[in-house]
Amino acid sequence: MSLVQNFPFFSIILAMFSGILSSVLDGKKARNVSLAAIVMTTVMSAAVLHFCVRTGQSYTYMMGHFPAPWGNEIRAGVLEGQTAVLFGVVMFLAVVGGMDHTAMDVEESKQNLFYIMIDLMLSSLLALIYTNDLFTAYVFVEINTIAGCGLIMIRQIGRSLSSAIRYMIMSQLGSGLFLIGLSLLYDVTGHLLMSPAKEAVAAIEAAGLYEVPMLVIMAVVSVGLAIKSGLYPFHYWIPDTYGYATPTASAVLSGLVSKGYIFLLIKIFYRVLGRENVIASQIVNVLFVFGLAGMLMGSVHAILERDTRRMIAYSSVAQIGYIYMGIGLGTQAGMVAALFHMFTHSATKALLFISAVGLYEVSGDRKDFRSLQGSGYRNPLAGIGFAVGSLSMVGFPMLSGFISKLLFATSALQSPHKMLPTVIALAISTILNAVYFLRLVITLYTIPEAENAAGKGNDKRQRVFVAAKGQGEASAFPASSRKLRLAIVSFILLNLVLGLCSQPIVNQIGNGLTMFE
Amino acid sequence: MNTPLFVNMEETVSIILFGIGFTMLMLHRNLIKKILGMNIMDTAVYLFLAVKGYIRGRMVPIVADGIQDVSAYINPVPSGLVLTGIVVSVSTTALMLALTIRLYERYGSLDLDEILMRAKEEERA
Amino acid sequence: MYAIEENIILLLPVVLPTAVGTAILMVPGFDRNRGRIIAAVLGTLLVEAALAGLALATGGSLVLWQLTETVALSFHVDGISRLFAALTVGVWLLVGIYSVSYMKQEEEERRFFGFYLIVLGVLVGLDFSGNLITLYVFYELMTLTSLPLVLHERTKEAVAAGLKYLFYSVAGAFLALFGIFLLMQICGNQPFVPGGLIVRLPGEGLVSFQEGMGSGGTPVKEGLFLAAVFCMLVGFGAKAGMFPLHGWLPTAHPVAPAPASAVLSGVITKSGVLAVIRVVYFAVGPKVLRGTWVQQVWILLTLLTVFMGSMLAYKEPVLKKRLAYSTVSQVSYVLFGLSMLQSQAFVGALSHVVFHSLIKNALFLCAGAVIVMTGKTRVRDMRGLGEKMPLLLGCYTVAALALVGIPPASGFVSKWYLAVGALASGTGVWAWLGPVVLLVSALLTAGYLLPLTIQGFFPGTYGKEDVDAGQGKAGPEARQEPSGWMMGPILILTAGALLFGCFPGALLAALETLAGAVL
Repeated sequence: MSLVQNFPFFSIILAMFSGILSSVLDGKKARNVSLAAIVMTTVMSAAVLHFCVRTGQSYTYMMGHFPAPWGNEIRAGVLEGQTAVLFGVVMFLAVVGGMDHTAMDVEESKQNLFYIMIDLMLSSLLALIYTNDLFTAYVFVEINTIAGCGLIMIRQIGRSLSSAIRYMIMSQLGSGLFLIGLSLLYDVTGHLLMSPAKEAVAAIEAAGLYEVPMLVIMAVVSVGLAIKSGLYPFHYWIPDTYGYATPTASAVLSGLVSKGYIFLLIKIFYRVLGRENVIASQIVNVLFVFGLAGMLMGSVHAILERDTRRMIAYSSVAQIGYIYMGIGLGTQAGMVAALFHMFTHSATKALLFISAVGLYEVSGDRKDFRSLQGSGYRNPLAGIGFAVGSLSMVGFPMLSGFISKLLFATSALQSPHKMLPTVIALAISTILNAVYFLRLVITLYTIPEAENAAGKGNDKRQRVFVAAKGQGEASAFPASSRKLRLAIVSFILLNLVLGLCSQPIVNQIGNGLTMFE
Repeated sequence: MNTPLFVNMEETVSIILFGIGFTMLMLHRNLIKKILGMNIMDTAVYLFLAVKGYIRGRMVPIVADGIQDVSAYINPVPSGLVLTGIVVSVSTTALMLALTIRLYERYGSLDLDEILMRAKEEERA
Repeated sequence: MYAIEENIILLLPVVLPTAVGTAILMVPGFDRNRGRIIAAVLGTLLVEAALAGLALATGGSLVLWQLTETVALSFHVDGISRLFAALTVGVWLLVGIYSVSYMKQEEEERRFFGFYLIVLGVLVGLDFSGNLITLYVFYELMTLTSLPLVLHERTKEAVAAGLKYLFYSVAGAFLALFGIFLLMQICGNQPFVPGGLIVRLPGEGLVSFQEGMGSGGTPVKEGLFLAAVFCMLVGFGAKAGMFPLHGWLPTAHPVAPAPASAVLSGVITKSGVLAVIRVVYFAVGPKVLRGTWVQQVWILLTLLTVFMGSMLAYKEPVLKKRLAYSTVSQVSYVLFGLSMLQSQAFVGALSHVVFHSLIKNALFLCAGAVIVMTGKTRVRDMRGLGEKMPLLLGCYTVAALALVGIPPASGFVSKWYLAVGALASGTGVWAWLGPVVLLVSALLTAGYLLPLTIQGFFPGTYGKEDVDAGQGKAGPEARQEPSGWMMGPILILTAGALLFGCFPGALLAALETLAGAVL
């Protein structure tokens, strides 16, 4: 066994251990430890990815000394590697970009707690990605929930506390369902490891036994994870949670946490329940319908919303709808599209949250999106970042969102029964997306009426100065830091890479899905 | 009295308990009762798992009296799962209780709707 | 892909203006340095003309970027590209010269000129596009980069108009995108082929067919396919101001500075036409569409737009807005010609593209010149203009007559072909109803364009008092023509509109070859 094969295990343990270490460090050191942990785990994930691509196959890694049917296992393949690398990169940029705000939003004495939560989050996400054992998945789902809750409530304002408790309640409903589903599955198959469980499921299906329990298991597991990832109509915790957390937390929660659950769901579909069985059980159709509803309703809510961050949060509801719609198509192409959109959305949503920070900084941190008028001039880079993110979400060509749309449409056209609803919903939802995202972008580049009049006759620079004086004074924030700018630029590049060089990534997703089976 | 529901009485009870807990967690407005519901829900799952691992007439899987034979003991895996599950549920309960205390200190209420309403008012002010 | 080897020259006319435009926006050296901006803009426009000429002469194709395995972004130059690219670059050069003088009174010339050049690059890219996805990419880029031109004034109306422009364009583009996706399902991202790719297999649906490659692709049901084509027509039609997505045009064009509204009206609406041509004649194929409900509805929509645009223009008091409504109507002449799916109508449509572009630019530039010289925007206030600026008003009159279609000016030629084509098209009731609507609309055109001429040259006593009152006691009216920078382009455009009408032979011969290839 080569050294690289140990890396998934190492990265999970490293992240967890750095969390423990941080509990005795002060805020700044804890932050550096976390950044180092993120970088190292990302590098290790990249090595794993490279290894799997090179050997062309996945491998399982035995934990402890109990062989397959009993022990605990980790599994790494191309898809796991890809997801882990992307999550690592997004997390790193989110932490770097929101660093200054974290320092401001969180009490000095609790800084290290924030970074402990980040470490735990990283560790649990990696575990969700790599695990081959269902009960381990459950445990890390709970760790993930706790870490997520910590990230939300650490900004100690009323709304963040109340949204944290709502988040906890919804999460507990979801994980309760997930747990009972696992227990039922264990009851039926006698296994918790994914590979033997799948064999048992296949045998049961072949024998035609336990039809109702299997259906219940599939339903309960899917609904449990759907609640946790915020699928419409279980979405109502999302806007508060993402809207009131500190920026890093918002970016991590919307970009990564919900995706971790979706990844787990896909993994369970493929590696435990069997894709054919899931499709035969009509569960995918339910997910498909909820996905479509989410795509439309999320956007409608976003249009009605006036608070920028909540608007972005509602857009997450819509985008998660897209992902479930892709899963719900039930085809390989649909699954590839869903996974690619997962990547797209991780990168883009984090970009939006982080660049929104840059815009708030120069606009007095008010909630109403109209307060952002003209902020695109006051902080040009954040404006560009926000515009790129918005255009990508709308599906502008050359950005990653376009490739997602292309994949969704292509896969929809290949599944004749669901083609029409999918294509129509895609069209309507795209236009709805355009309505609120482009409205935001235009707002960024509109000089407020009063200042426009004041600055008439001067050139742009002076006018910007007037505008900045008008609103900048109210802001307690320093000018956007180098770290924020670095994060924005990197996110834009990430988006372009996903948009322009998508083919190898898409190929590897397909490859990884084949490895799943 | 031989219907499956009575033969598998423990499972039936645990599923009913799960339902009660789930409903409480979802629908009750009082935070403490929500947390109670969550615990009932989790406990129902542990009961279910424990029942699955139990084999009538056998011992707990702790090697005592030098008996090494597998057939003397019940299935140890579910017991292990229940233990892990209890740890998880204790920590989430603790976290939720802590949050509830913070909210109670801040808003003087355990009613979630009222808390949300006050939080909104507070933000507006 | 293409048999011809890659021709890297095609990239130059796209990259050059984009690069210079970006430099003007970004490089600090251009700040507050009007001379430098002007020099850069005019230099670029001249070099651009030479480069575009070179690219058009060498032709060929170029794969830009392999987006995915099946989707490539590529350029390919054919007859249609040559026509549109030459028109775009030529008009851009003239309007650029005009802007030098016009923009003196506006703020933020730097931003205007920067985006002006970028849009040119994008438009040339659009003209060169070799397949539907490339077309779509540049189409979207065009919407975005031309938005700052609409938003230029940054008043409340300008922002509202910009938003409207953006929403209509984006909604249209996405409607079209889903048509493109469906088409890709049938034939992949095929390069444009004159005459289209799709054939009908009775009983099975529609598949792609190419000489030498045989048929292929997954058959698609006819109903779905036609719906997709209709989506593309309506979607791309939005840019060309076709009903029902025409609403943005009369709002967006007038709020922009005059040179911007000139190119918006004269050239950018034509990119919608280009997209429609590419879809109908180079991807789908006229044979498949002939006689279907899509063609019927399309004809109906264009005629409706022609009539409605003229009516609204007739009732509009503000000159620039009136011209914008006139654009709605005139561009739909072009679409009407295309919808006939008949070669003479096709020739008429393409020649109307050229003529309308020249004429409408000339008219908008005249309107701009009037605003610069007098600050007046309403037709009613322009009484007696001919005494001050006879040359300007003369140009306006010639251009207006050309648009109405009085021989020998150019509009006559294109309208003649449109009418003949329609009569020969065999589309039942439309074959005679179409020309009737065109005729009525021509009368309306005369009705909304010529009053300015009449009142301008012959103000009568009633108007005279008004003018005197307005001017105070400034003494006898002196001739006060706009500067040479402004008059030059107007004269050239007007002369073009006139001369193409007198000597249309070469252009028409070229267009007939094109029509022969696609029909």
